[in-house]
Amino acid sequence: MIDVANLGEMELDVLKELGNIGSGHAATALSKMINKDVYISVPEVKVGEIKNIFNEFIPDIVAGVIIALQDLEENRSGYLYIMFPEESSRKIASDLFGMEDLDEEMYESTIMEVGNILSSSFCDASADFMDIILLPSPPSFALDVPTAVVDSVVSQMAKNSNHIILFETALSSASDIEIYFALLPETGLFEEIMKMTELL
Amino acid sequence: MSSNILFTSNERGKAIFLSERDLLIKSYCSLSKTCSRREACHCDFTEAAKNYAISNGSSSAGSVIIALKGELAAGIGEYKIGKNQLLKAMGLGSCVGVILFDHSTGICGIAHVLLPGISAKGETKYAETAIEKMYEAMLKQGARKRKISAKFAGGAQVFKHMNLDILKIGDRNAASVEETLTKWKIPILAKDVGGDSGRNVIFNPVDGSMIVKYTKGETLWL
Repeated sequence: MIDVANLGEMELDVLKELGNIGSGHAATALSKMINKDVYISVPEVKVGEIKNIFNEFIPDIVAGVIIALQDLEENRSGYLYIMFPEESSRKIASDLFGMEDLDEEMYESTIMEVGNILSSSFCDASADFMDIILLPSPPSFALDVPTAVVDSVVSQMAKNSNHIILFETALSSASDIEIYFALLPETGLFEEIMKMTELL
Repeated sequence: MSSNILFTSNERGKAIFLSERDLLIKSYCSLSKTCSRREACHCDFTEAAKNYAISNGSSSAGSVIIALKGELAAGIGEYKIGKNQLLKAMGLGSCVGVILFDHSTGICGIAHVLLPGISAKGETKYAETAIEKMYEAMLKQGARKRKISAKFAGGAQVFKHMNLDILKIGDRNAASVEETLTKWKIPILAKDVGGDSGRNVIFNPVDGSMIVKYTKGETLWL
């Protein structure tokens, strides 16, 4: 078993590239969906201790979806957490529907669907460009502060390691829409990455 | 940076105020439910706290004011022990914040529990291990076994639409905490578990109350 605390530069670079390509494609998908230009921020990879994770996330309530990623053999590769700040999520939902007032159910379902589309294009890209197969689970929706949302995911990872790797990037558009992407890879993904780098 | 934490109480209710250079930055008030002003917190409570801060310690009529010695926050999977300090475990979703308190000596501790069960390696992210270690550390600092009681909150299920079973860990965490406390014969004075909203758990050692601040607004004093 690999401990994420001892990963090399190389593995982290590959992870960053994977996240880069994935979120780039997610940005394209978002741009098509809302018919506007979408910008992507310079992504960051952080290796940190689980106990300090509270400092990594914004303290505000956000709408978010968690998607689990698996490889073909059903080994867990990690989790995608896509966060939509409250205003952005309302705006996306009302833009897509072309009306202002959506009931809660419609709104939540829309955000889940957007999460679905973004995560699918994220996974497609990683398979196309890097031969790393990531199969997304259906999204789970939560409206709360990010730390409270990710802690159940973190608890899964905490069984193997006291450290966590976080790939973060943000998508934004001219119409004040902001979406944050966080990829929390599990050791399974690094085994894939190791295999891939050996072939280079 | 000079930061002040004041606890004030009168016959109507209790409140904690966090201020920096005479500026109120945060408050946890037991009257928040009935308070009409909400965000723009300004009533005889805040006035009393402000006067205390300005006059450096003379208390005003009608309200009891006590200053706390700073605050301690337990990160995920950690525990912290203090005395006369505000204890915090922030952003709890499926996690549980466990407070042990010895009212005779004032020694208290908070644990931010991440996983149910026990750890073979002594890691404090597991409920049973965390409580055990915190309990022992408190005894070492002089807390008295028979006087220690517990309060805990957390173990929510924040996902509204859930497609992953592994995310259902909140209930198991809360159950594991309760089991451990029962096993160690530590009386449970209050708990607030489950639900679908994240919590911040704050412990006020002055009056022994656990303040549960829901991320969606409501504040409970237990």
